[in-house]
Amino acid sequence: MNIDRRTFLAVSGLAGLGLGLAACGVKQPSSGGSNDVSLRYGWWGNTIRQRTYETAFETFTTDHPHVTVQPEFAEYAAFQERMTTQIAGRTAPDLFWIASAQVLSYYKAGIYHDDLDKIETLDLSNFTPEQLESFKIDGKLNTVPLAVTAPVVRFNETFLDEAGATLPDEASTGWSWDGLAEFLIDYTKDAPEGRVGIAHNAQQDLTFESWLRQHGQQLWNEEGTVGFDADGLGGWLEWWEKLRKAGATLSLSEQEGPGMDWALAGDKTLMTFGNANHIADHAKMFPDYTFQLRGMPVLPDAAAGYTFGFMNRLTIYSGIDPDLLADAGRFLSFNLNHEAMLTPTLSLGAPVSGKQLEAAFDVASADEQKMLRIVQHNNAQESKPRYEAPAGTGTWRDIMTRTIEEIVLGGMGVKEASQKMIEGIQDEIAQVS
Amino acid sequence: MSVDVSSRRRKAAGQGKAAHVFLLPWLLGLVFITALPLVASLYLSFTNYNLMSEPMFIGWDNFIRMVGDPRFMSAVAVTLRYVLISVPLQLAFALLLAVILDRGLRGLSFYRGAFYLPSLLGASVAVAIVWKEVFGHDGFVNQLLGLFGVEAVSWLQDPSRALSTLIVLNVWTFGSPMIIFLAGLRQVPEELYEAAKVDGAGQVRRFWNITLPMITPIVFFNLVLQTIGSFQSFTQAHVISGGSGGPLDSTLFYTLYLYQQGFVGYKMGYASALAWVLLIFIGIVTAIHFLLAKYWVFYGDEN
Repeated sequence: MNIDRRTFLAVSGLAGLGLGLAACGVKQPSSGGSNDVSLRYGWWGNTIRQRTYETAFETFTTDHPHVTVQPEFAEYAAFQERMTTQIAGRTAPDLFWIASAQVLSYYKAGIYHDDLDKIETLDLSNFTPEQLESFKIDGKLNTVPLAVTAPVVRFNETFLDEAGATLPDEASTGWSWDGLAEFLIDYTKDAPEGRVGIAHNAQQDLTFESWLRQHGQQLWNEEGTVGFDADGLGGWLEWWEKLRKAGATLSLSEQEGPGMDWALAGDKTLMTFGNANHIADHAKMFPDYTFQLRGMPVLPDAAAGYTFGFMNRLTIYSGIDPDLLADAGRFLSFNLNHEAMLTPTLSLGAPVSGKQLEAAFDVASADEQKMLRIVQHNNAQESKPRYEAPAGTGTWRDIMTRTIEEIVLGGMGVKEASQKMIEGIQDEIAQVS
Repeated sequence: MSVDVSSRRRKAAGQGKAAHVFLLPWLLGLVFITALPLVASLYLSFTNYNLMSEPMFIGWDNFIRMVGDPRFMSAVAVTLRYVLISVPLQLAFALLLAVILDRGLRGLSFYRGAFYLPSLLGASVAVAIVWKEVFGHDGFVNQLLGLFGVEAVSWLQDPSRALSTLIVLNVWTFGSPMIIFLAGLRQVPEELYEAAKVDGAGQVRRFWNITLPMITPIVFFNLVLQTIGSFQSFTQAHVISGGSGGPLDSTLFYTLYLYQQGFVGYKMGYASALAWVLLIFIGIVTAIHFLLAKYWVFYGDEN
């Protein structure tokens, strides 16, 4: 077959145009055949979490062969970035996790499906009516909690035994902030191999929140603004400064910044503050050691109801194709209630419903069981309401990091730095309101 | 004769159409991937836009805000320091290596490839991570210093040193300008060197009086490219500081601050305004380069 130049160009041009149009017209495989559907599910974490979730989803698709789950997974920061651009482009996943700092920002953007409790295929029977009420935003059940975790002290029992030391009794008044500080300074004096009492973890948000609540303050308040004052924040930063100046914390250089790198800090410190669920991943990084969890130290005159749990939320996108809603409800139910989801959920914390939490003990590893026990204990305590981060506070952790650097590296006074941090966060909130 | 002309015109017109067909993908890319987003960002720079709600027109507010924004000022200062120190160092190092390699070393192609490699990798996330490990508290540099009894130095967490590690990383990616210098050095006529030798000029004299003036167009080309590239540096600071630009904003590159505002703080309107200020500033710097070029760049066809 002879093809002249003119024909070749015409064919090339048409083929290019065709491909271009085809590319522009690619349809999201939201609904394939007559009954086949595809649900996009967005979540974040590390590769282990990705694998456990994808494995669990296979159980769902086996039970519901007409449904395909399209995973949209990324590391935390990348996920937030992608979500924002997807929201801007009105292409958010059908179901997605919500980062704590974005709960109200996303709500303000109207991307939650209102009235999840009206979706017939969504089974919320494992939650108590009180729990359902507490999850609501502005009186609407537009997100559901996946898991609950708690602020904890995680300590290296192996190091403690090696030093022949004993932590202050949790039931006594010695398990206070001052008592713990004293213990850590003492431990550091005699610790072998240059170990120190604690990683410098002043920016750990849940433990900071625990400090504030014990002092009768909040991280965020009902009015949607900063719930603490310069004294509350300053007291927290002073507590860390006392330890740092006594040499009982790692330096920022040793732990590569205020956002402590556990891989570096793990075998240099006796303890760290963190979220209860982190024990599973972090303990695996140091298999020669045994780690234990404890509740946060308690002020002698701590405000009533200071205990709290942090819940990760999941929702359905408000812009979901209505034809997908029934299957999205089924898939959401699967996430909340199915036994196949217990193992993946443990990477986030304990299941929220009491029944699921009990069931989780059967599949949890020894370290995960420590987390479950702490959360179970927490759940039994009186707890005052906790408010979500208002819109515009996506950078508050960065502001806190800078505040810590200003004190530790820049020599700024705690009082001045505290005031500056609060003003910085308020400024961010004001810019979006 | 007239038949010939019209046939040639038809042929030329046909070739023109063909050229346009092949240019089409590029033109579409220019319009949809570059020009339209550019225009959109210009509009957004005059709005309050959080990516989730509709943009709200606020006039010059974003630009006015920059004047009172201390972090904007920090980002400008850090970026200027980075550009002013790393670009001359990088070019000097690249020229030095190019001059050495131009002497016809054995295994020249190996060295050329080896020295060029960091340029391919330098702006990548992988190399930035390696750099973080190398200069970390327990990293290679401190371990090396430890062998000589020097106490570990905080390279990345000390505000007075953190930027230096990024400058070193940029200087290390000298391969690309080096290759261009090498090509330029090959164009210098050999007879000029021979004449200078006859006149008794030494190596240093030959370099200053022949090599450097002859390759000033190449120096100029590299200078413009590297300056623009350095103003746009992002990956290294993002990876090494964990996206914060810390410690104490000492590695807060302009583009990193822009990214923080747009994608972490959801202030896309302000981020767009920052982007336009950067674009205009780079344009002015490049224009100044071209204006000053007539005083020090010599082309072969000039008297």
